Parts: sequence; C-alpha cells; structure tokens
Amino acid sequence: MDFEAGEIVALVGENGAGKSTLMNVLSGLYTPDSGEILIEGQPTRFRSPRDAIAREIGMVHQHFMLIPPLTVAENVVLGLEPRKRGLLDLTAARNAVQKTCQRFGFSLPVDARIEDLTVGSQQKVEIIKVLYRGARVLILDEPTAVLTPQECDDLFAVMRELAASGHTIILISHKLREVLAVAARIYVMRRGKLVAQVQGSASNERELAALMVGDARPSPSIGSAKRDRGELLLEIEDLHVLGAQEIPALRGLSLRIFASEVVGIAGVDGNGQRELAEAIAGLRPWTSGSIRFRGEQLRNPSPGELRHRGLAHVPEDRLSRAIIAPMTVEENIALGRDREPPFARKGLIDFAGRRERASRLLKEFDVRPPDAQARIGLLSGGNQQKVVLARELDLAPRLLVVVQPTRGLDISAVRAVHERLLLARERGAGVLLISLDLDEVLSLSDRIYAIFEGRITGELGRAEFDEKRIGRLMMGAERERPPRAPSANA
Amino acid sequence: MGMFPSLFRAALPSLLSIALALLVCFIAIAVSRSDLSIAANAYLQMLWGGLGDVPSFLGSGNWSLLTRAWGESAAKAALLTFTGLAVSVAFCVGLFNIGAQGQMTVGAIVAAVIGAKVALPAGLHPAVAIAGAAGAGALYALLPAVLKVRRGVHEVISTIMLNWVAVSLVENWLVVGPLRATASGDLSRSGTDEILPTAELPRLLGSLSRLNAGFPLAVLSAVGVWFWLNRTSNGFEARAVGLGMEAARTAGIDVRARVYQTMAFAGALAGIAGAVWVLGTEYKFPATLGAPYGFDGIAISLIGQNHPLGVGAAAIFFGVLRAGGTRMQLLGVHKSFPELIQGLALLFVAGRLIWDSVLRRSAKRAVPMAEVPRA
Repeated sequence: MDFEAGEIVALVGENGAGKSTLMNVLSGLYTPDSGEILIEGQPTRFRSPRDAIAREIGMVHQHFMLIPPLTVAENVVLGLEPRKRGLLDLTAARNAVQKTCQRFGFSLPVDARIEDLTVGSQQKVEIIKVLYRGARVLILDEPTAVLTPQECDDLFAVMRELAASGHTIILISHKLREVLAVAARIYVMRRGKLVAQVQGSASNERELAALMVGDARPSPSIGSAKRDRGELLLEIEDLHVLGAQEIPALRGLSLRIFASEVVGIAGVDGNGQRELAEAIAGLRPWTSGSIRFRGEQLRNPSPGELRHRGLAHVPEDRLSRAIIAPMTVEENIALGRDREPPFARKGLIDFAGRRERASRLLKEFDVRPPDAQARIGLLSGGNQQKVVLARELDLAPRLLVVVQPTRGLDISAVRAVHERLLLARERGAGVLLISLDLDEVLSLSDRIYAIFEGRITGELGRAEFDEKRIGRLMMGAERERPPRAPSANA
Repeated sequence: MGMFPSLFRAALPSLLSIALALLVCFIAIAVSRSDLSIAANAYLQMLWGGLGDVPSFLGSGNWSLLTRAWGESAAKAALLTFTGLAVSVAFCVGLFNIGAQGQMTVGAIVAAVIGAKVALPAGLHPAVAIAGAAGAGALYALLPAVLKVRRGVHEVISTIMLNWVAVSLVENWLVVGPLRATASGDLSRSGTDEILPTAELPRLLGSLSRLNAGFPLAVLSAVGVWFWLNRTSNGFEARAVGLGMEAARTAGIDVRARVYQTMAFAGALAGIAGAVWVLGTEYKFPATLGAPYGFDGIAISLIGQNHPLGVGAAAIFFGVLRAGGTRMQLLGVHKSFPELIQGLALLFVAGRLIWDSVLRRSAKRAVPMAEVPRA
C-alpha cells in the first residue's frame, strides 16, 4: 500500500480483516514479522509509538484517550509538557496549543475542561493532540462512530483542509457512505490481504460491500441440505432495546427460531447483536415489543428462570460473562446448577457427584487437560470455551444462544465448537448463532437474518445464500423489504 | 501434596507480615528505651500476660495464674473473630464492610435491652439476646446492601456513615436518654441497666477465669462460616458472586439475593460481637463501646486473608497480644504496642504484592505450572 502527501485514503474491510493490525504497525504498537515500511523512500522500523511520532505519524483512536477533568491545553501537551525550571509551564502550554489551533483553523476553547465539551469537540482535541506532536500522517480509526451527522460534516471539512495543507489522512471506517464521500482512494482488505484499490469517485456501496465480503462460495455445508425443522421456539416481535448509554440498540427487531435449526445473524459489529443476545438471555430489559419463548410471553425473565425453561447461553465475553477464572473447572461446570443433583444434595455440595459429572463432560468434549480441579483460568481459550459449551449443552437446552463462539480460537477448537453446535441441532435444539465471522454464519446456518442498526434487513434460507447480497444487507446498502415478522413456514 | 503445605503457603505472607511487625516494634521499643533487654522483657511480659504467667505457674502450680489471662485473651479474641468474620463474609460477595462497628453497636444495645428488660430462663435468655443482636446487626447491614443494589451507593461510603449514625443513636441518645440506667439511691450510673443474671453468658471455668461461652461460640462461628462457604451450595453461589458477578448472573444465580443474604449474615456476626461483649464482659451497655472492635475487624480480616479460619487464627493471636499488652506497662512500655503491631502487620499484608514477588523469586518454579496443551 502506498499513501501520498495531501490525500485522504480510506481503509475498509470486515472485522478481523487486519485494518487495525496494520495501523498498529504504522503507529509503532506492533512490529512486523517481515516486510518494510518506507517513509519518503527510507526503510523505517518502529520500536514504539514514540518512534512513529518521531517520524510524524500520529493515530487518533476510536476511543478517546483524554482525561476528562483536565483542560484542552493540558490534555494536548500531556507527555510533552513545556517546563520552566523543572516546573510545568502552563502558560506556555496554553499558548502553544492556541497557536496550533490557529494554524490549522480549529476553534477550540483551550481552557475548557474536556468533560464540558461535546463529543465532536473532543475528537478535535484528539486531532490537535496529534498535530501538536508534529504529525503529517494522521490515522483516524472509526472517527465517526460516536459523532452526530453535523459533527461528521465538520470532521470531514477538517480532514479536507488538513489534506489540502499537505497532510496524509488514513481513514478507517465501516461506514461506506462516508468513505465514498471523503476519500480519494479506498483500499479494501480481506483476511489480512489487500484485495482491491478503488477510486472514491468511481465506486459505490454495493461494489465495496461485495469486495469486502468476497465471493468465496459457502464452504461445503457442514449442515445437511434439506431438513425438517420443529416447533416454533422463539418469536420476537418489534423488539426495542436500549444499549450502553441509553442509546437505542434494537429498533423494532423481529425474528423467529424453530427447533432443529441453526439460525445465523449476520451483521457488522455494533448493530445490536450483543443486545439481542442479552435480551433473549434475560440480561437486558426491553422497552417495547415482545419475546415469546416456547409459546409463553416473557416478562422480565431472570436468567435463572430461562435456563430452567430450556435456554442455554454462550455469551460473547467469555472471561467476564461465561467463566469465573479463579474457580476450578468443575466449579464452573456447576455454576447455575449448583443446587441440583448431581452437583448438590440437600443444599450441600456433592463433591463426588460434581467431580464425576465434570470429568465425564471433560472427556466427552475433549478438554485438555481433562482435570476437573484445574483452575479454569489456566486453560487455553479454546478449552475454556469447550467447558462453557459442555456446561450449557449439559442443560439439554431447547434453545441455544451463542455469541461469537469461536473468536480467538485455533482451528481445531473452532471445528470442535462447530461440531457441537450442529450436534445440538441434531438433537432437536434451536440454535441462534450470532457471529461477526460471516463464513461461520454461512457454513453453519440453515437460515440467516441480516442485521443492521438494530433491525433485520433481510432473511435468507440456505438455498438463497449469496454472500454479496448478505454483505449488502448487513451494510444497510439494501433493505430487502420493510421490517416484518418472517413467515411461519419459510 | 497434602492440604497442610498449601494452607501454609497461603498463610505465609500473613505470617511474614506479623513477624516483620513484631521485629519493627521490637526495634522501636529497644531504640526508644536504648535497651535491648527491656524490649525482650516487654515481649516476654506481653506473652505471659496473654497466655498466662507460665513461669510463676510452674513455680506455684496455681492454675488461676493461667486461666485469668486466658479469660482476657479469649474475650478479646472472640470479639475480634466476630467482627473479622463480619468483614470477610461481606468480602466474599465483593463488598467491603467498613460498618462492623455500627452493626456491633446496634447488636450490643439490643442485647443489653433484651438482657435487662426481658425475663427468660437462664439457658434461653442469652440465646434470645444473641439472636436479637444478630437480627439487629443483620438489618443494619442490609441497609447499605439495598442502597448498593438498588441505587448504586458505594458500600464503603454508606457503611462508614452508618457507623456514625449508630454511635449517635445509641451512645448519644439511647444510652444517655430513654435507656439510661435507673438511679438507685444517690448513685447515678452511666450506661444502661445491668442485664439480669439469667442473661449472662455462662463462665466455663467458674471463678477461676472470666472465660465465657463467647469464645467457643466465636470458634464455632468461624468453622461454620468456613463450612458454609466451602461445603454448601448457597456458600458456593456467594463465592461465585464475589469472584465473577457477571458470570454468576449469566449462569442464572440470583445475584441480588446472594448479596442481600450475605451482607445480612455479615451484619449478624457483628451484632453477635456486640451481644457477646454485653452478655459476657460488660453486663450492660456502658457509656460507650470504648474500643473500635469493628474497625479492628477490618485488620483481622485482611491479616487472616479473608479466610474464616485465618480470621479466627489472627483474632486469637491479636487477642492474646492485646490482653498481654497491659503487662508491658509494668516496664513502662505503652500498652498500645500490640495495636501498633496489628497496624503494621496490616500494612505489610496490604503490601502483599511485594511478598508475592519475593516469594515467587525464591520459589524458583518450585511448582512447575502445567503446560496446557492447545485444543
């Protein structure tokens, strides 16, 4: 890849395509195993972010790295504070920041505290911070994720001005419309490789979405071709759920899941997948709409009740939500069922029963080491995940909700997890598979819903799987039909 | 490897901390009096004061030389055990109970009232008074738990503030107001009415010692807490909540119920401390609680590493030290040195990271971490 002075270049790709890794290499956080970075023709090697800053490359992170109670000036100079006789010289700092703002045409109140600024202004502070350090190459990672449309327009104006004054802007974004609007050139990455380079003015969202997703055929199905699904297990209608910071995450989502099928949710990160799983599992309340599970309307269900009714859940955050790292493997297997046989008898822990059940499951799920008394935190991620699956499937669930079940696992663990999910389906369970890995969704699902901005944008049966089309649906570039409850016998 | 070595390994940082605290205080005494022998003698007196004057006993065969000291040590150890458990039990669900002092105060006043105003047969009377005190302590600890769960009020803030509420209510109002002892003749008395003889905790060695049933009750409680945490499903859930609240909730454990229940349990233990103090030592609620047993509980809990049996052991150790501390005064050494030792030991335990790294370096992979094969 190359980047020229004075241009805005965008980098797009699915989650895990390698965009962030590449930018972390450019900003000195990672060092490359092989290959070269040339700056003005000179081979360069960064050992730390400091080296990158010295070579005038600066990164504006997606999550602001600002200290809220400090002023704009204080935040900008942090780490490079002007000193006078060994003491912090705040006046000099203030003036220097003021000058930087003027030079780049930013209007920022340098004495205001960060916490009193709007998100858009905070972003400008981040940019000034990088410019203050003399950066000529600016990397912006998902800069518009938290901005209002108006603030986005401001940001784009700033980016254009910086480019006009000779800076290079590298923009990473999921929002194809914005990328097309602002970038002169667009690099498309997929699985750690550059797959295409297009001109911003000569492309469109459809083309980009297709390039990002690629056109690899769905892997020869692990799932069997045509099968009979069973009773209706879960019916969600017009569900509205608030996410973090009370921002609407689900906005009228409807879907259905039947017994003996795997239903995949395809979508880009942050379009409500997490909240959907949490709402179904009783971990997040909903503001309106309904969820019916096995024919019964759910009202503020507790996770415990749901599990008793046959719902199992493999959450996304394994370490915080699925396991308790300081506890042993067998204790983690007992979690939630610790009052019932074989884990307990008359309120007392049944150590022998628990050990026996745990050992059996460890063997069955090929967990290594098969030591029920090992601390689960010492196991590899793949083995931890196998323990979680073992626990959840041992509930003999009617419905299994799994979120990102194979993230960070190696190939053999991924295969083991996939086999387990399909086995659960064979045994008549419904499986809701929420994953950012489109290949995973495509290869396991009998049916796929595409999700975008908290709504279902399309539903495809296995025969209709078409990655390009799914890609467009999950980018919001195409809406199949207005949100609706899918038909009962699709 | 048996159970003992691993227990010893876990206790090692605390033991080293105590040893270091003893050493520092020893040096402090020696330096301040510029005499090593005084420091050595003071420590010896502290030991005899806490465990009984063994040399004189060997000379005279007079058992009361030992039993009297045991009574004082055991009384202190019992209170420290209960308040220490009150802190460590709350810690199991991840809450820092700074409110043992307040919970103990409300427990003590309830025990004093039941002991003085309710007529019951001897066997039953202390039990009822203790139960009442436990209930009062439990309710008083539930308050911060509810505030925490429903309103997100940090329990450290609320329990600290409720300490002062309890002290104000009990010591500045009840004890000098409605519950003030009735004057007999010309004598005006401080504190509440004395409890009825039926309510006194039975003395285990009769006239030989003030050793009362409070101490065995404390030991039983420590064992009981250990059993609850390690042998019952309910205790398992409490531990799960403390170690991984989100995972516990996701797995279907009723996190709220466990937090409420455990905090109430913690408050009950502190309340029992108040009852044991009133029914076993003071026989009334005196003008004030006097010693900060509730706050000492924090130190005991941390030195005992929040393990119920560790708490019991630490409480007994410092009970002995503090009962014996008075004897140091014979040598002109201030009796607050045992508290200083306790404080320093706490400081060193708090610096545990340092111990851990020192121990790890010296262990030199004594326990090779099993290489976990990849899936």
